Amino acid sequence: MTRQLIRRLLIGLVTLLSVYVITFVMVIVVPGNPFASADRSMPPEVVRALEARYSMDDNVAYFFQYLAGALRFDFGPSFQYKDWTCTQIIAQSLPVSVTIGLAAILIAVLIGVPTGVISAVRRGGWFDMTALGLVLIGVSLPTFVTGSMLLTVVAVYWHVLPIGGWGTLAHLPLPAITLSLPFAAYIARLTRAGMLDVLGSDYLRTAVAKGLDSRTVIWKHAFKIAFLPVLSFLGPACAQAMTGSFVVEKVFSVPGLGQHFVDSALNLDRGLVMGTVLVYAALLIVFNIIVDTLYAWVDPRISNAVA
Amino acid sequence: MLLLGGFGLRSQTERADFVYVNSSGINTLDPAAITWNQDIRVAINLWEGLSAYAPKTARAIPGAAYAPTVSDDGLIYTFTIRPDARWSNGEPVTSADFIRGWRRAIEPGTAADYAFLITDNVAGAKEYYQWRNDAVGQLSSMKPGSASQRSRLEEHAREMETRFARVGMEAVDDQAFRVTLRRPCPYFLDLCAFPTLMPIHRSIERLRINRDDLGLTREGLVIYDAQWTKPTPRKNGYPGLVTNGPYRLNRWLFKRRLRMVVNPHYRDSDSMACRTVDMLVFGDINTAIMAYEAGEVDFLPDTSVDYDHELARLSRSGQRSDIRCQTVFATYYYFFNCADESVDGRPNPFIDPRVRRAFALAIDKRVLSEKVIKRGDPPTDLIVPPGSVAGYVSPPTSSYDPNEARRLLAEAGYPGGKGLPVIDILYNTGFDHGKVCDVLARMWQRELGVVVSMRGKEVKTYAEDRRNRRFMIARAGWYGDYLDPTTFLDVFASDNGNNNAGYTSAEFDQLLTTAAQETDPKRRSDILSRAERILVDRDQPALPLYHHTQILAIKPYVRGLYPNVRLVFPFKYVSIER
Repeated sequence: MTRQLIRRLLIGLVTLLSVYVITFVMVIVVPGNPFASADRSMPPEVVRALEARYSMDDNVAYFFQYLAGALRFDFGPSFQYKDWTCTQIIAQSLPVSVTIGLAAILIAVLIGVPTGVISAVRRGGWFDMTALGLVLIGVSLPTFVTGSMLLTVVAVYWHVLPIGGWGTLAHLPLPAITLSLPFAAYIARLTRAGMLDVLGSDYLRTAVAKGLDSRTVIWKHAFKIAFLPVLSFLGPACAQAMTGSFVVEKVFSVPGLGQHFVDSALNLDRGLVMGTVLVYAALLIVFNIIVDTLYAWVDPRISNAVA
Repeated sequence: MLLLGGFGLRSQTERADFVYVNSSGINTLDPAAITWNQDIRVAINLWEGLSAYAPKTARAIPGAAYAPTVSDDGLIYTFTIRPDARWSNGEPVTSADFIRGWRRAIEPGTAADYAFLITDNVAGAKEYYQWRNDAVGQLSSMKPGSASQRSRLEEHAREMETRFARVGMEAVDDQAFRVTLRRPCPYFLDLCAFPTLMPIHRSIERLRINRDDLGLTREGLVIYDAQWTKPTPRKNGYPGLVTNGPYRLNRWLFKRRLRMVVNPHYRDSDSMACRTVDMLVFGDINTAIMAYEAGEVDFLPDTSVDYDHELARLSRSGQRSDIRCQTVFATYYYFFNCADESVDGRPNPFIDPRVRRAFALAIDKRVLSEKVIKRGDPPTDLIVPPGSVAGYVSPPTSSYDPNEARRLLAEAGYPGGKGLPVIDILYNTGFDHGKVCDVLARMWQRELGVVVSMRGKEVKTYAEDRRNRRFMIARAGWYGDYLDPTTFLDVFASDNGNNNAGYTSAEFDQLLTTAAQETDPKRRSDILSRAERILVDRDQPALPLYHHTQILAIKPYVRGLYPNVRLVFPFKYVSIER
């Protein structure tokens, strides 16, 4: 188990390095000048001074300088926001995204799992049909629609929660619910499919034949196996939810990390592009490792197979 | 875990006396490097220059200094700094603080976009700036850390003070500050209110890189730790940002919230009604408008949304008195590539002024403004917004005239557009730019029979293409930096770095030079008007379309906040009367 974990961590590091190299090449080759503004040209002296200050005049040196910095969680200065370092920007926005993301995943699991289980158990019934319909809506409706609707109804008409921004606990529910809906729908679908698969298996029929009560059969025997696909989905889902959603952040004016994925690329803010990509990649790798470990714990066949 | 992630979330935050919204975050609070309007808006409340902006007109009024005495030739300004001018830590503001700020703005390491406000006007500043830039260029090209670089650096550091002594900034004593100009500058007091010319408190020196050595980097740059604009204390005993304006910076969360609180040492602090001001960042203006409607926000300086024409209609019909339409000191235009024989291998017909005139006369700007933009932006044939600069009389122009346009095009050798290559139009995506470009393309196709190709690019690549003149026609816009026609006209001078059109006219350049030496305001105004006429009625390097109108929302209970052509808002005059 430990050897397996070390192996996964090493592979993760190599993956991270590859991500860095690819991102670096992309930010170098992309056309445009990060210091340019729409209507004003900068004096050449100013451009030279800025390029020297931000190590833009020597890409090879910058490659190693940035890498050395990144290992110490120092992602260098932001080109666009000159008073901030990329580390400060990420440090201020990541907790916001993590909070919303975790809340969203929690809501998604709390809604999705019971819905999936009940739908599977009462397959074809009114609950199953309604849930299937809602799942379809949840998966297909883009978050900017659900977000705007929630915002208009809950914040504007009912005045129950504040409109956008970040700072108090009241700012959390709306973006978290909006972000959770597609995840909840997908989890419900996965759980339902998994449960249906398991409910038809021989060992469950044996369990029922042995006279176990249906609650024990469903939650103790069937659910444990049916939950596995959900578990493997949760790894990337957590990373995705926690690194922020550009749309949800935009609609609710939440200062999370998601906006920087888009804005930093548009601003050609090299340090921030690479910083956000590395953080996202690292989170993705870490969550995948966590989920795989949990997987092995829930289903010992996996670790036995590896052993 | 959720709680861990949720640090920073409180059960409640205290609302400031006055809350306004910025649709994007602050780019920088370093006054020397500030260029964006939203940054200027904060800076003029944190700092106070020798002049300040009047709340209604945005014209210059005395700020941290009394009105100066000016020599007869208009070249020497002697300011007396108010004895009660104080930094937010209680120390008096001195002439040395202004010299520190102005000098920093012309240092190559600061890379100030607006350094020209000082180098173009203060005697000796351009020479110092050039000398420093050349030295930095030389030092950068030497082997890093070599003995020769070190000795050159030491020699340069010794010479810096001697050279700077020749710049026309003199601290006669702590309160008397004498500025010598290189040429008469009738708008100099206006410049003194701009962030580039703010004083800087001496505590910044604690964060100077290499302060214990020569105070210079290996390349000879004077650089400060970029964290100096933060309100919290830093290394080397730096106390956090010290400012001399009506407010001091209390809290600054990246792209989230910036709080200013009254500077207790500011001379008018006792009478200021707004003790705290919050700037909130709302990435989506639609959400900001909802927050405004719900009363969470008192002021929206910008409401650029898809339905802003509807807001303008509500305002003009009197249904919403809190929504205000303000035409600003800005011109939206397109310019022609006047310099290059060919663009991307295609012949460039726009080197012929007749073709440029033809394209300009073929555009019905009234239709563009009234039927497409619909916000009420006044259509224009001028570069300098008429009526915005006191005493300046705009020249006569020629308007939409498709027959004359076709005649000129035929005269230039392209009857009915025949023989013209595909016309390449460059614009940056976002806002109304695509919509406007589409209308122009259709009008040119209809009136002149030309084939047009539109090239919308993201702003950074668009800027690069513009600078390298990879276009036949390109979108542009200009916000005036100071209340004088030259802020618009200088852009078309042959040697101006922003002259992306590549337009050159010895006559136009000569008129600008003559105006720069003219001390009589009437005669100066006439000369500038003649210069503008060359642009809009003869050579036509640009096609002016309209003067931009900004739609603002100010809650009816907010007093002392006035929309103005510069969109500058000194919050010290604001009060809330619910």
